[in-house]
Amino acid sequence: MGLTGLEIFKQLPKTNCKECGQPTCLAFAMQLAAGKAGLDACPYVSAAAREALDSASAPPVALVKIGVGEKAFELGNETVLFRHDKRFEHPTGIAIQVSDKMSADEVKAKVAKINKLVFDRVGQTHEVNLVAVVNDSGDAAKFADTAKLVQENTAYPLLLISSNAGAMEKALDVAGANKPVVYAADASNYEAMVALAKKFEAPLVVKGDNLDSLADLVAKVTALGYKNLILDSGARELAKVIADQTQIRRQALKLFRPFGYPTIAFANNADPIVESLNASTFVAKYAGIVVMTTAEPEYILSVITLRLNVYTDPQKPIAVESKIYELLNPGPDAPVLITTNFSLSYFCVAGDTEASRVPSYVVTVDTDGISVLTAWAAGKFTPESIADTVKKLGVMEKVNHNKIIIPGGVAVLSGKTAELTGCEVIVGPRESAGIPSFFKQRWLNQ
Amino acid sequence: MFEIIGERINGMFLDIREAIVNKDPKNVRNWAVKQAECGAYWLDINTGPVASKEEQVEIMAWLVKCAQEAVDLPCAIDTTNWAAMEAGLKVHKGKALINSATAEQAKMDVLFPMAAKYEASIVALAMNEKGVPKSADDRCALAMELLANADGYGISPVDLYIDPLVLPVNVAQEHGPESLEALRQIKLLSNPSPKTTIGLSNISQKAPNRPLINRTYLAMAMCVGLDSAIMDAEDADLVDTAATASIIMNQTIYCDSYIKIFRQR
Repeated sequence: MGLTGLEIFKQLPKTNCKECGQPTCLAFAMQLAAGKAGLDACPYVSAAAREALDSASAPPVALVKIGVGEKAFELGNETVLFRHDKRFEHPTGIAIQVSDKMSADEVKAKVAKINKLVFDRVGQTHEVNLVAVVNDSGDAAKFADTAKLVQENTAYPLLLISSNAGAMEKALDVAGANKPVVYAADASNYEAMVALAKKFEAPLVVKGDNLDSLADLVAKVTALGYKNLILDSGARELAKVIADQTQIRRQALKLFRPFGYPTIAFANNADPIVESLNASTFVAKYAGIVVMTTAEPEYILSVITLRLNVYTDPQKPIAVESKIYELLNPGPDAPVLITTNFSLSYFCVAGDTEASRVPSYVVTVDTDGISVLTAWAAGKFTPESIADTVKKLGVMEKVNHNKIIIPGGVAVLSGKTAELTGCEVIVGPRESAGIPSFFKQRWLNQ
Repeated sequence: MFEIIGERINGMFLDIREAIVNKDPKNVRNWAVKQAECGAYWLDINTGPVASKEEQVEIMAWLVKCAQEAVDLPCAIDTTNWAAMEAGLKVHKGKALINSATAEQAKMDVLFPMAAKYEASIVALAMNEKGVPKSADDRCALAMELLANADGYGISPVDLYIDPLVLPVNVAQEHGPESLEALRQIKLLSNPSPKTTIGLSNISQKAPNRPLINRTYLAMAMCVGLDSAIMDAEDADLVDTAATASIIMNQTIYCDSYIKIFRQR
């Protein structure tokens, strides 16, 4: 992302001295924007301007790495406000918090629960990302002990929450090597917090009281030479968090550097349903990390599923798993329908089949998630691929007949498919909307 | 969204001239309504060359009022007479469009403050006292001067409609690709980028089959970033071309009736 001519011009000295070889500063800015000149040609450009112009080539939202080892993850590098414009890059990290007021047994029990928040969605494993340790006790030793205990019981990176630099130092002495998130540098403690974060090279949350104070504080922190940051505008009320998250992302994309970092948001609520809804909102609205209190799987699963959906790449077709889908508890005499694993194709077929009230098996051939006719044209929906799938999944072993139904759009495949599968191939309707009447006329009355 | 600036309310046309002379708003209103139905977003208002400089002031205000009484559209106030410009802006409802400034410092220093004062958008031509530049690079250099000056007066780039100047293809053929290249580059000058416009009918002056030339150039220009054009909104094929180009450029969501919808916005 290059700078525009106007942005460069605003940083130039506007002397029109011609020493750069251009007639005016404006002309020089145009040359820079077009990549036809270097900034070094201007002897009068200030250090601040040079820094601003250099940093412009950096991505709008910095990449921040959290943790070490297998459970380490990345945030940032986002480039859009809306996922349909391109895609969201790095899924929101979900943190579950434990308090240092809890007893050692309570901490262990909750961490054990957190460790089990691993879910299987469409054939992939999805899990939470962080355990947050909160210094509710105000006691530095307790905080460090809890951090140590949590670290010993989980592989997830930690999020250390204390505004007390002394307590943070103690906790970092036990957990700092694993690059935990340090929460948070505020106006009162930022010098000490920056020094600690620097020492352990850990990502540091900068917390303001509002957007203005956040921008000021980030400028102070970056002036100290630390840029491994995460932002907290201090907002806690839902509407305010959405507004602030939106502003931070929007300004970052306009290359407002103080907001060019991932964010953290707190979904905390005594009611776990509200907490789950808050977390979902923040996942949709740009949060880098969402902190929750509940470790009950029913409240986490919905957030994880939403995160998976929001962060899928809209430019890639969405595929369902290639497998046998059993609709309405089919028995051995149920029909077997063949389609592709494009999610839209599958859900159309599944929806219309369910509407027919006829229990059925739907088999999705892996076509890399493209539709029936597209896959046919691309040579991915062929008698061979259908036969392979039918055999591999063993669907004919579930039924007492020897018939498979293929989409009407690929009727030409029926002969060869019959040959390769050894099945009787029935050509279904062109549109899945025709499935209910097709069943009535061709399946139930046979 | 592509913005059509309807060119028809201009004292150069006989019926408008008669309306002005007889103080009869009927023709002005008719053209306002007709152009609105054809999909115009702005109504260009030009007193034409007949009246004296003093008379133009009052005529401009009258034309703007007549047009806005008939339809709920903003006007592009098209005059080189600054007193008439200000008179038009004073009576205008909503956000007006000043048509036009050039990259001459004296003009920029009058018209940009006027745009800021009346919160109007402004058309700015990429030319100065030395005339129309030849290459795309020279046009862009002037566009940059317009942009930097507008910025200095606090005018957002999205309110600045830069016109890279289109010349007749029969006598200035080599300017055609330069204007197109300039349009492409102008959209890269700032973020948000300035808007762009052209006086479309210029491309076909005194050439045969003007509508074909106009609509072909319009599609080509929209492809490289044209946001608006002063054009004949009554030319149905031309408006259809704008609608179609806007679909192909993914500026409006496709539907089968997109040509109809384009006129109803």
